Formats: sequence, C-alpha cells, structure tokens
Amino acid sequence: MRSKVADRILAKTPKDVEIFIRLHADITVRVNQLLKEKGYNQKQLAAKLDKSPSEINKWLKGDHNFTLKSIAKLQAELGDIILYVPKRKAFSNAGTQCANFTVYHNEPVNTNVQFHKFETHKVISNNPLQKNAI
Amino acid sequence: MNTFVLEIWNDECSLCTFYTVRNDDDGVTVRESETDKFFEKYDAIPKFEKATIELLNFVLKAIGEDHGAIDELFNRHENEVDGLPLKGFLILGNTKYNYPNFPLRLFALRITNSIVVLFNGGIKDSDTNQTSSLRMQWKEACSYAKRITEALRNREIIIENNKLKCNTGSDTIYL
Repeated sequence: MRSKVADRILAKTPKDVEIFIRLHADITVRVNQLLKEKGYNQKQLAAKLDKSPSEINKWLKGDHNFTLKSIAKLQAELGDIILYVPKRKAFSNAGTQCANFTVYHNEPVNTNVQFHKFETHKVISNNPLQKNAI
Repeated sequence: MNTFVLEIWNDECSLCTFYTVRNDDDGVTVRESETDKFFEKYDAIPKFEKATIELLNFVLKAIGEDHGAIDELFNRHENEVDGLPLKGFLILGNTKYNYPNFPLRLFALRITNSIVVLFNGGIKDSDTNQTSSLRMQWKEACSYAKRITEALRNREIIIENNKLKCNTGSDTIYL
C-alpha cells in the first residue's frame, strides 16, 4: 500500500536530488555513529582537528561548506571510512574478451541499537559475536 | 479530540512501515490523510516544491529504504513528536543543502526502528514551534501522538510483525 500523493511527487524527483538526500543521510549517520563509538564530544573533536569548538559546531550544524579536504580530516581523526569510492576491475579471458566489474566493500554488519518506544533498548545485531549483547 | 483512523501510508519500503492519521468527523471519515494533505499542499506552492520533494525523499528513501527510523535521523525532539527532516550538518562542495534552514517540518511519532506514524506539518518560520505558523499542526500532532502512545500502552493497539494492529485483530484502527 502506498500513498498516491507520495507516488506522484516521488516520480518527479530529479535523480541528483535523490542521490544527494541519501548520501547526506548516509554521511550524517556514519559520522554520528563514529563519534558515539569513539566517545568524542565536539570539544574533543575540535582539539584533535586543531579547530575551534565553534568551527566544529558549525560543521555539525550545517553552517560549514564541507570540502573533500575536511571530510578527509574527519575520516583521518575518526579512524574509519566515511566515504568510499568503488573501484573498477578488468578481467580478461585469454586476452580475447574483457569485462569490467565494480568492486564494493562487503556489506557492513548492522550494529544499530534498536529503538522500541515500549521496551527496554536492546542491541539486536546480525553479528553472531554480538548476539548476547544488551 | 475527534475520533481518527490510524492507517498505513506506505508499507512497501524495505526497512520501515509508515502510518498516517485521518480524521473521522461525526462518523464521516475525511478522504485525505493528514500526511497527504501536507505533501499535497506544499507541493502545489512553487516556493516550497523543491523542499517538499527533498523531504519526501528523506522519508521514503533515507529512512524507508536505507537506514530505518534510527536515532541519528530523528534528532529534532519536539515534545511528543519528532520534527523531520533531521538537524543537518553537511553541505558538500558547492551544493548548498541546508537542513538547518530547511523551511518545512513534518511531524512524526517513532514507535520502533521500523514503524513510524507521520502526521501533518507546516512552515517553520520562527525559532520555536509555538511562534511558528505551524503551531496548530504541531499541537494536533502531539495530541494524536499522545492518543496513539496511550493506546499502545493499554494494548488497544498491538505490534505484530512490524505492523500495528487493533487488539481485535483488525488492521483498521479507530482511536
């Protein structure tokens, strides 16, 4: 079941807008999860990046025009990948046929804490190592 | 508060089922849901058309298909409801994509990571909801959310396979 109004509006979405929205959400989620994981607050992150806390606040509030350089700094400090660019790999069969494949990383393990308004929060994960984590 | 119907708005996304509410005045159920009213209204105003498309994509693609209703995407807590979209932090390159000054808000009640109820919304034209022109929609959304939360607590509504059901087993929920 789907709203017809939503279908009509969705149908006129330019592809670049859809990509941007999804990428934006991906990066927001990724950076926030890494910050949580590392236990950084804005002040600590500012110190590590050698920036003023107010500048970091601007980054996190959206008043900053992010560049590839600032994402690289953030990635370096957080010690994990924020953006990944897939690579193309060519395979040939005895030099006669050639095919190109895009190589992506494996699917990451879902480590999200499940939200349930009417139950205690539990960690539910597909990772067998985390099955018993609460 | 009048009786209203709690019904599915979209159950075809892979990570989240979206519900909405429809008013039922004197036993006559209004044709359009509150969420459809919101999207229909702002899509028809040229100034807000782009924001409407972006917000709809945020709901159905980013939440519905990519992440589910996770904490990171529900970070505007406004009493009983959350405002969408999320508080942003990013403008990439020369593309100005400004969530902090995003003109619209759609109110939502997150029940689990995979169940969200969407309400109506409006234009955020002031610092607080109380002083914005969307205050009526916000108050209404809070009332709906209170009633739904109460119904979940006293088990008038139950959660079954990531769907909401009336305790009589029916999919149509009148509250």
